[in-house]
Amino acid sequence: MTEPLLSIRDLVTEFATPDGVVHAVDGVSYDVYPGETLGVVGESGSGKSVTVMSILGLIPQPPGRVANGEVLLEGRDLLTLSEREMRLVRGKEIAMIFQDPMTSLNPVLTVGDQLSEAIVTHDADIGEDAARERVVGLLELVGVPNADDRFDQYPHEYSGGMRQRAMIAMAIANQPKVLIADEPTTALDVTIQAQVLEVLQKAQDETNAGTILITHDLGVIAEMADRVVVMYGGRVVESGTAEEIFHSPKHPYTLGLLSSLTRPNVDLERLEPIPGQPPSLINLPSGCSFHPRCHLGQGRAVCRSEVPPLLELGVGRRSACHFHEEMSQEVARVEQETGAHFDGEL
Amino acid sequence: MSTTATAASEQDLHARSPLGTEILRVESLTKHFPIRGGLFRRQVGAVQAVDDVSFAVRAGETVGLVGESGCGKSTTGRCIVRLLDPTDGQIYFKGVDLAGLTSRRMRELRREIQIMFQDPYASLNPRISVNEIIGEPLRIFGRYRGEHKGKERVAELMRLVGLNPEHGNRFPHEFSGGQRQRIGVARALALDPQLIILDEPVSALDVSIQAQVINLLDELQERLGLAYLFIAHDLSVVRHLCDRVAVMYLGKIVEFGTKHEIFDNPTHPYTQALLSAVPITDPRMRGKRERIMLEGDVPSPSNPPSGCRFRTRCWKAEEICATEVPELTDRFGHGHPSACHFAEPRAVLRVDPS
Repeated sequence: MTEPLLSIRDLVTEFATPDGVVHAVDGVSYDVYPGETLGVVGESGSGKSVTVMSILGLIPQPPGRVANGEVLLEGRDLLTLSEREMRLVRGKEIAMIFQDPMTSLNPVLTVGDQLSEAIVTHDADIGEDAARERVVGLLELVGVPNADDRFDQYPHEYSGGMRQRAMIAMAIANQPKVLIADEPTTALDVTIQAQVLEVLQKAQDETNAGTILITHDLGVIAEMADRVVVMYGGRVVESGTAEEIFHSPKHPYTLGLLSSLTRPNVDLERLEPIPGQPPSLINLPSGCSFHPRCHLGQGRAVCRSEVPPLLELGVGRRSACHFHEEMSQEVARVEQETGAHFDGEL
Repeated sequence: MSTTATAASEQDLHARSPLGTEILRVESLTKHFPIRGGLFRRQVGAVQAVDDVSFAVRAGETVGLVGESGCGKSTTGRCIVRLLDPTDGQIYFKGVDLAGLTSRRMRELRREIQIMFQDPYASLNPRISVNEIIGEPLRIFGRYRGEHKGKERVAELMRLVGLNPEHGNRFPHEFSGGQRQRIGVARALALDPQLIILDEPVSALDVSIQAQVINLLDELQERLGLAYLFIAHDLSVVRHLCDRVAVMYLGKIVEFGTKHEIFDNPTHPYTQALLSAVPITDPRMRGKRERIMLEGDVPSPSNPPSGCRFRTRCWKAEEICATEVPELTDRFGHGHPSACHFAEPRAVLRVDPS
């Protein structure tokens, strides 16, 4: 494999709350390679968004604090940069696409002005006409029709799907090395989601950026991601290629997500939900934080007492489960119970 | 004489229908919201949220109403419980036309038809305890019957939906999203309804919690013989829960059929496009199925296209589509009506094995 573009190492981000210090991100490590899409999955509160906010230096401080770790962008640790240096990284080397384009675009500026600003900020000499030309080109690239007229419109004159296209255009305006998309299609209808995902794919092909795609939607992950990182309670619990994650999960939480899933193309006998609630970060269970909800652990002592290390099972294949060797029997049991086939039988 | 007749029909309404008999029939339901403008706030137009929608729900079954934002699925649900007054059309519950009812009789009927909402944060009063939330419908209908019996019934309802009755004195903010939806289900069940309108009941929940609520709805239906009208945009959930499915686009039903007819044999281009856009949770299928990419966005319901409302985004559209509204009729003898002049089955979810 080539060198990673972005390496996150042992990242710890904590927040001071009235009830004590919360570790929203607790020792997270993952790599992003050029041209790939890395899917990050997890439920609310799993730390998937806080991780990327930490990468970008966008953690509100106080109450937040990046307490430990490194974020290496081509070898340079972003956590050691000053705010002024970081401003040159954001939007230029690492760009972000947010979930809600209505709140992330400024309603009193035209879409064109906002995109131009993104370009001019990092290239002061470009000149107004050239900037406009670039922006119109970008809007065309992301499939905004009549881009020249649309340049002068305000965000409210765009539909949800069009706004998200404009956000993608803004994100790729400076040919970033890393593109972060945080729930980019969650607010959209399914036919619009399909359009936007296609545009995102195109934008990535165009820039060859390494992309971090954060979503709770496993369908979007299955369609888009090359590799997947699964997060739970602020930690990475499993990583692997998309095929490995969906067809031979090595962590019971991942399997729980898959067995909770309704499928558009398969009739399932029943769903097997994960019992209980996602953990409160204030009061994370001892040992493996998944143990109170885990079917595989069955309350075994080691699950309650020891935090399972994130073991390297193969190249890029990791699992943080004490009993990951028992996962194939567990997968077989769930297949029996739900009628789903994880081995990818069509 | 007339009192006995009323009493008799009242009896009928509250008696459980045998499984499979029709309990709800919606005929030509239309809801237009006026757009007012000008100096005197005259009506200058109308948002045609629901236009000439007809379908039926049988006892014990789940009918799905699916479509994207603004297709009129929630408005349809709200008209049925009369949270909105329909502009036109009839809604029959066990043969009784709801529109013709006095507000007193309508109130009685509300016992039988309940609604549950999407947002577990907005649909529960934050200032009253869960006991009071679930007990409220009982009190309104005089079924609380004293502190002891009332509390007993509330506790029973909480157990039924998988909540601990000891938590009845807590307030909604002390519960997670999934638990709040359970409170919503318990409240909807309090009066032994026969039909529950579920308006996106799991959309706001994380996937593991979503599955818990889906299983709960499934179990309750089996145990209590409930009929559901399930309003949702998530087609995978609809496939799992529904027996029959109506697909809506811009205020109209474009296709209606059994779950398998709709998912395996869709005939309307919009249904096909919708299904082909749904992500499949299997990375090995990536790029192996046909994708129908729709151009553009849904037109405004205040000025819908003439003829077929889908024609502006349809790859099959011809002249007739602009001039003639396609009727929702069974075009292939599959018992599966489709509102397209050029309807034809196309299995978009099937994957090319090569």
